[in-house]
Amino acid sequence: MRAHQFMLTLAATTMLAGVASAQPIKVGLTGPYTGGSASMGVSMRDGAKLAVAEINKAGGVLGRPLLLVERDDEAKNEVGVQIAQELINKEQVVATLGFINTGVALASQRFYQEAEIPVLNNVATGSLITQQFLPPKEKANYVFRFAANDLIQSAMIVDEAITRRGFKAPAILADSTNYGQLGREDLERALGKKGVKPVAVEKFNIGDTDMTAQLLRAKEANADVVLTYGIGPELAQIANGMAKLGWKRPLIGSWTLSMATFIDNAGPNGDGASMPETFIQVPNTPKRKAFIEAYQAAYKVDRMPSPVSAAQGYDSVYVLAAAITQAKSTDGAKIRTALENLTAKVEGVVTNYDHPFTATDHESVTANMPVFGLVKGGRVVPAHDEDVAGANALRLKSK
Amino acid sequence: MQILAQLIVSGIAVGMIYGVIAFGYQLTFATSETLNFGQGEALMLGSLVGLTVVAVTGYWLMLPIVLAFGLLQGAVVERLGVRQAIKTKSESGWIMATIALGIIFKNMAENIWGRDALKFPSPLPETPLSFMGVNVLPMELVIVVGALGLMLAVEAFNRKSIYGKAVVATAADRDAAGLMGINTSVVITFSYALSSMTAAFAGVLVAPVTLTGASMGGVLGLKAFSVAIIGGLSSGMGVVVGGLILGITETLTGFYLSTGYKDVPGLVLLLLVLSLKPAGLFGRTAIKKV
Repeated sequence: MRAHQFMLTLAATTMLAGVASAQPIKVGLTGPYTGGSASMGVSMRDGAKLAVAEINKAGGVLGRPLLLVERDDEAKNEVGVQIAQELINKEQVVATLGFINTGVALASQRFYQEAEIPVLNNVATGSLITQQFLPPKEKANYVFRFAANDLIQSAMIVDEAITRRGFKAPAILADSTNYGQLGREDLERALGKKGVKPVAVEKFNIGDTDMTAQLLRAKEANADVVLTYGIGPELAQIANGMAKLGWKRPLIGSWTLSMATFIDNAGPNGDGASMPETFIQVPNTPKRKAFIEAYQAAYKVDRMPSPVSAAQGYDSVYVLAAAITQAKSTDGAKIRTALENLTAKVEGVVTNYDHPFTATDHESVTANMPVFGLVKGGRVVPAHDEDVAGANALRLKSK
Repeated sequence: MQILAQLIVSGIAVGMIYGVIAFGYQLTFATSETLNFGQGEALMLGSLVGLTVVAVTGYWLMLPIVLAFGLLQGAVVERLGVRQAIKTKSESGWIMATIALGIIFKNMAENIWGRDALKFPSPLPETPLSFMGVNVLPMELVIVVGALGLMLAVEAFNRKSIYGKAVVATAADRDAAGLMGINTSVVITFSYALSSMTAAFAGVLVAPVTLTGASMGGVLGLKAFSVAIIGGLSSGMGVVVGGLILGITETLTGFYLSTGYKDVPGLVLLLLVLSLKPAGLFGRTAIKKV
């Protein structure tokens, strides 16, 4: 008995030592950990770190531990570009996870593409992101995504507003950045498909503190719903401005309405805002329950700052690990091939990944997967309970 | 009509925010013909310090602490960034120095308070008051009253007290004031302290409406700068009127023209003023003898 126990301990120690002493597999992790989109970047990073810790505890990948090389891109395109070069040339990562901001992703991905290193884009939503390097123009596309892109989101927003909730006269309020203006175009196109013309299309700048003019124009046009494409602080000013003018209309917009900076700064004025989400902090599958509990325990928070980013960051690590295992190599081209033909089924938080990508389709999220979230009492809850109950809880990619 | 009234009321509220920040530019320009380009950052620091203190003391007790902090911060800016430039009669040294200090303050704030926009608790209820269909937040009224009150207090101090007279004398003619026995370098330090104090006060005044955060100084500081140019850097009255003009044009153009062009008329106005009356609408034209 004693000897048996001793042998077991010895075996376990050597196994652990084996993992620890083997050369780690370096994976880049880049996002804004400071700045206006930090809540998304930090949640994404924390989700990814959680997955890496779990994988390493279970023995790593190919007998080697994963090592995240974290870099703060500050949501700045030029910093993102520098980091890409550093991760590729100096750190020699085998793949990179990250990107919260569409602009940073578009500016930085080129370097990975040229170095033939896969990029697993886990938050940025710009429609163009996975379309930059399409074969046959390029030999192969190294950019993959784990988020619901803007085409999906804008179509969902319009569907929710016009079809499901029956609004007739939408006003669009979008910020003047690339994100806001590209999103506005997508919204107008999606509305056009339903034969609806927005009664007002208004613009605001980052840092604007007064939304009176925009809201009064929407009010004068008799808008019955306000569709938004912007980020947290200005969205909060819209909600606060509505309360000030005594003109309350439902806010339906892109997933940034779930940002902590919107929820906290709008306070009670933000209640009722709704947005498409790939993951809401609700433990409706065993995997989600385990993930939420592990996240809360590891980072000592009750409300995740950005649950969507955390879940997508977490899932991207598991899918990457499965691809490296299948490729039996850390060579970029082989990992990409494995990602495009992944045979292992990966149980994730957002969904279960069964052949998530093909050579021509690098989006793991399809339009049927996100559900509508609703801000209520400082948290995001499911807007329609039937969307997250029973068989609807786990939504698989439509083929 | 109701809409026009609402736009003007909102414009006044925004304009007073610009005006009270611009007032700080005017204070230092009057005594030393230099500006603190970190005025926006002084505003931001005041508001963030206020946010930290307010949790302990409550809103009203927080005010004197923030005012004291502003005085100190302004004196530091003058000592580190401006004094040397004035001493050597450098034409531009203070520009770079105050910009650099502004960046340093911003980075410090980012490290201490993070970079997210933060909510500043409002001392008054956040339900709007309605006057004949025109809605206004109680806090917006406080901004207008508080800004005017502060500016009047500073003006009264300058005109009535012996210390204030030293400030006015330095503003009128620095060399002559020096010969009359006024310690002009202390006066200049004091005017910087006063200027940052108004900025810090403006910070806690506007934060419940504008949100606060390390980056709040950027846009507001810049807008206030154009207000100071429009109104005239040598006139306290000018910056108030300049602020109101800019605030009201912004909301009016936003509504009647297009929200995409909201900022344009203000800048056009700025260009017009610069080309037709460079000293500003209310500024005195100084003749520089060479």
